[in-house]
Amino acid sequence: MHHIKSVAFPMHLLFGCLITFTAFSQDKDKVKFGRIDPKDFEKTKFELDTSAHAVVIADVGTSEFEMERDHFEIRFKRTCRVKIVDKNGYDAATVEIPLFKSGQSEERLLNLKASSYNLENGKVVETRMESKSVFTDQLKKDYLEKKFTLPAVKEGTIIEYSYLVSSPFYFNLQPWAFQGEYPCLWSEYSVTIPEYFDFIFLRQGYQQFTMNGEKSYDRKTYNISYTNNGGAGPTEHGSASASVTTSHWITKDVPALKEQEFTTTLRNHISKIEFQLATIRYPDSPLKPVLSTWPKLFEELDKDEDFGLTLDKNNGYLGDVVDGLTAGLTSDTAKARRIYNYVRQNFACTSHSGLYLTKSLKTVFSSHNGNETDINLLLVAMLRRAKLDAAPVILSTRQHGVTLEMYPLVNRFNYTIASVNTTTGTYFMDASYFYLGFGRLDGSCYNGHARIMTPEIPAISFEPDSLVEKKSTYVMLMGENGAIKGSFQQMPTYFESCKMRAQIKDKGKEEYFKSISRDFTSETVISNTAIEDLDDYEVPVKVKYDFEMKPEADGMLYINPMFSEARRENPFKSQERLYPVEMPFTVDDVYTMSLTIPEGYEVEELPKPAIVKLNETDGVFQYLIQKNENQIQLRSRVKLERATFAPAEYNLLRDFFDMVVKKQAEQIVLKKTK
Amino acid sequence: MSLFNNKLSGILICILYLQPAFAGDPDYSVAAIPAALKEKAHAIKRMEELVVNVSSLSEKKIVHRYAITVLDASGDKYAKVIDYYDKLRSIRSISGTLYDAAGKQLKRLKQSDVEDLSGVGSSLMSDDRIKRHSFYYTVYPYTVEYEIEVKENNTFTFPEWIPQEDEPFSVEKSKLVVNVPLDFTLRYQSFHYKGEPVITTDKDTRTYSWEVKDLTVLPDERFVTDWHRRTAAVLLAPADFEIQRYKGSMNTWEEMSRFMYTLNQGRDQLPEAVKQTVHQLTDGLSREEKITKLYHYLQQHTRYVSVQLGIGGWQTFDANYVAANGYGDCKALSNYMCSLLKEAGLPAFCVLVYGGDNEITFEEGFPSNQFNHVIACVPGTKDTTWLECTSTTLPAGYLSSFTANRPVLIASEKGSKLVHTPAYSMEQNLQLRRITANINDNGDMLLNAVTHYTGMQQDDLQGRLHQLSREKQLEILKKDLSLPSYDVNKYECKELAEQLPAIDEQLEISAHNYASISGKRMFIVPNLLNKTTIRPDADVPRLSDILLRSSYRDADTVLITVPEGYMPESVPQSVSLKSTFGNYSCQATVTGNVITYIRNVSIKEGLYPATSFPELASFYGAMYKADRAKLVLVRN
Repeated sequence: MHHIKSVAFPMHLLFGCLITFTAFSQDKDKVKFGRIDPKDFEKTKFELDTSAHAVVIADVGTSEFEMERDHFEIRFKRTCRVKIVDKNGYDAATVEIPLFKSGQSEERLLNLKASSYNLENGKVVETRMESKSVFTDQLKKDYLEKKFTLPAVKEGTIIEYSYLVSSPFYFNLQPWAFQGEYPCLWSEYSVTIPEYFDFIFLRQGYQQFTMNGEKSYDRKTYNISYTNNGGAGPTEHGSASASVTTSHWITKDVPALKEQEFTTTLRNHISKIEFQLATIRYPDSPLKPVLSTWPKLFEELDKDEDFGLTLDKNNGYLGDVVDGLTAGLTSDTAKARRIYNYVRQNFACTSHSGLYLTKSLKTVFSSHNGNETDINLLLVAMLRRAKLDAAPVILSTRQHGVTLEMYPLVNRFNYTIASVNTTTGTYFMDASYFYLGFGRLDGSCYNGHARIMTPEIPAISFEPDSLVEKKSTYVMLMGENGAIKGSFQQMPTYFESCKMRAQIKDKGKEEYFKSISRDFTSETVISNTAIEDLDDYEVPVKVKYDFEMKPEADGMLYINPMFSEARRENPFKSQERLYPVEMPFTVDDVYTMSLTIPEGYEVEELPKPAIVKLNETDGVFQYLIQKNENQIQLRSRVKLERATFAPAEYNLLRDFFDMVVKKQAEQIVLKKTK
Repeated sequence: MSLFNNKLSGILICILYLQPAFAGDPDYSVAAIPAALKEKAHAIKRMEELVVNVSSLSEKKIVHRYAITVLDASGDKYAKVIDYYDKLRSIRSISGTLYDAAGKQLKRLKQSDVEDLSGVGSSLMSDDRIKRHSFYYTVYPYTVEYEIEVKENNTFTFPEWIPQEDEPFSVEKSKLVVNVPLDFTLRYQSFHYKGEPVITTDKDTRTYSWEVKDLTVLPDERFVTDWHRRTAAVLLAPADFEIQRYKGSMNTWEEMSRFMYTLNQGRDQLPEAVKQTVHQLTDGLSREEKITKLYHYLQQHTRYVSVQLGIGGWQTFDANYVAANGYGDCKALSNYMCSLLKEAGLPAFCVLVYGGDNEITFEEGFPSNQFNHVIACVPGTKDTTWLECTSTTLPAGYLSSFTANRPVLIASEKGSKLVHTPAYSMEQNLQLRRITANINDNGDMLLNAVTHYTGMQQDDLQGRLHQLSREKQLEILKKDLSLPSYDVNKYECKELAEQLPAIDEQLEISAHNYASISGKRMFIVPNLLNKTTIRPDADVPRLSDILLRSSYRDADTVLITVPEGYMPESVPQSVSLKSTFGNYSCQATVTGNVITYIRNVSIKEGLYPATSFPELASFYGAMYKADRAKLVLVRN
């Protein structure tokens, strides 16, 4: 079992509990649509310092609640002013506004204005966008995009647009990102919430705030329709005066954040604020909790026809297949394994994201495809049909961002896997990847906190630190008739094995070994090739082959004892790191070589042994080499204990791999005896 | 969902599963496939009938029926349907059936499973939408059968028939049938097709049919011509056609040229203010100066934004639209540029071209719609000036590898023949580099590279400089350099404003552990930055002719200073290769503590016969090896 560990680098989550009253400064009116000053065209520090291709001069948004006939709508207003610095920044002049729809309810785009401003002879010249330049792209049935690009855009143009989105989905208070693709001089967001709604504020990022959720209070009159007694009573109309609270955030001079290697998702790291509706309290009505508790979240999902409802019900159609698969088996684990392999092999995954069923389990069963939730819930249903103790597990994949143990926020989850308890233990399964063996998960699932969907809904954790990718290689070398002959045996890591299986499935073994022979720098012939366990997806494969190379130079023999197994490049290429390094797993890579010195040769030079530690205990690189009579033995091991490293540790990590690359490039030199 | 429904559909499914193939149904069992077709194939087209029914000058229906057996996961992509529709093309129906390896029917396509998606893609807007379907089946082998019916209200475009869809894809049988009214002239050109189509005539229809059987897989080859030149293919075109009430003909390029002119006629009216600007900018200047001035004006005041609406994307937005918005697609910007030039008294024309760095095997002898892009040209007394109007950065008169060196069609009132855009020669496409490097006792290297790129060798870099952020540029640079571990200390590019564009690049890199040191020896690969990655497999028989798309020359001079006290122990031998395709030489020498490495490569563009492939393979093979040769130094 996995245990919950504290996250090494917690998101900077703060909650709206700072109750201070601050009079808004004059800055609020800083961005009035259409008021462009010739000074705005002057160069900002970002253009001077960081070669930014566009600079957001100001991005200002507000969200407020208004009544629309019989329901609340959120009015989200935004005004954004951007300077296009050079041609590489032209993309910033094209804007896409997503709008959603659900049944009769839909979001509406109102009051869209957009203009470009150019400085001509010291004067600001405005070019307005015509309304017919706004296009509607219906991407899906319930999702469209309004798109426009601004007219008269040149290098140095300032563009500006403002709009209002009125949304009936009042539980979706718009989040706000203070950081994006371009640096931002001024980002400001305020939300005004009537007392009827209690939202949790979730903030993250590493930036300083000029205003950080400061609150101000006011009263506002709403015309409200509501029903008493939890919906059982008659509908009432009337106006009510409610206290409203405005929270306010401002950041200044926020640099752009760029994605570097080994990142789960930038979404975990950019400066932003999000909201989650916790309770609703309409006048004279009981408090209605919206934010769930974990057990409630379980209940809801369990009863949801797009999740748990049909896991145990109406699934007689599974009977024959499940009976057939489990016939003759007595052990629970054997039954689970058989059912898992059946689902894995017979169902195609159309998408590896989505927490809900895209169709009924029965349709999944008959159509042989679905997203990962479709497939894994079908797996759970089949396991339960076989009377096994199985349950779904929900999680968020690495690219989708973190989930919070503290808050049962269902929309933070995007993925379902399956679990089963048997006499031999608990197994987690994901049948949506054809190459994953029983009890194996894809690396994308190792994203910390997850929940098992049983009534107690226990928390578990899939930590990348706990996922060790082991690899071992053994090479034997000797000289024969002027050639170097060797035998190679390797057990690659599990994920490498998965990749190989896919590659071999696609191109065949012959092509695979051809690519291996090409990896040698000198001309090499490969023979006696074999791959073991190619079809046992639960374990890594084993690769074996013999090779023979003809050394070129007369007199001297230069041999890199690690051949193509040497790490040739440092994986950490960037010079600096602004947020944590998040590797998907830890590594333990052992390479052993033994060389029988060919007859007629003697050792001229050997690499020096070395041991390098990373932070004393976080990792070690051993490069041990010695000579005994006519044998040379080498053992190289790269082992990391952690998968996540702080920005402050970045240089250590980079230097560590520099050392690995350097040592593994070293050569053994043999010369002809006289 | 009610219990009743569940039960009912359960029963239906059982029936479908148990249903045997009807007598007379096609046999899609895998056992029926000839062994030769399965060899190295991921998918096999079992049957295909592409039927084109031209009912009038303005309408045709296309019925495409085919079955594909997928042998393994790599073949899944051929079993998917992705088809587009727009105002000129509607998809009337899609039906499909899934069969198992024994040829038993498993499932039929449900209309609700056909996805309907936006086809706008990277454009700001277009009329295109997409229908997509897949059975997502994973028990191999399996067979899909589809029938797709399409109606097109034009006879301007015709489908092409290329039964073999890819290299690892074989074909059992395939048929193309075209029915046209007796007064409709169908034109065609076939490739790798023996004989002529069967033509039959009844009272009001003429029928053409082509058929192929048993096409085996093709090897995956590099340096190849277009796919339609490598396998059985038939291209179709009309003589006379109609598209959205515009009538035209394309028996000759001249006719097509006239049609394209007509389609966009009268869309070149400039607003008064722009006319004045043109005169202010150009009055009294020479032809060359006028072109340069106006091209710069275009580059500063417009940008490329794709809006593809109406007449299948063939009719342009007018000059007014571009003037007002400051943007347009290739047609709109070229038309606008021509309007500016005409206002300045220079006749200018829009030019149709197939743009792309690859895939440019153009069928000059077969007038038809083979274009996807528009540029502008200004005829001169000596030379024609060519202008790529979607670029805000190219020098006036330079066409990049996207449109250079290929046949193009000028849209003109009188009609024009095909003409050729300029080809850039080996001496115009240069990469000249000089590197000085210092390696210290740890094997760390400080490298200074000055590179001069010209012509098509600067196209990619030029594009990156203007389209990507500096971070992305550095990222690409880091991917291109295969050094173990390094930092870029300095990276500066200077574009030289010349008729033939050139870029001077300065690069300073600290490369950690570039030289590997074992005890008293130092191992150095003296080719620091320019190693070929091409290594053709000489063992495989070559089928396709060899196409080298451009001529170029690289020259590298590398001076590496190593610490005092090292003597050469092993120095790579000089290599000098002369081949039909070009020449290569490299030479490393050590003088004192300085290594001098000189490398020259020149490649000659051309279409070479398949039989010369062993020579190509050994040429590149030797180059690959020489580029990676190590120099060994030993400390006294």
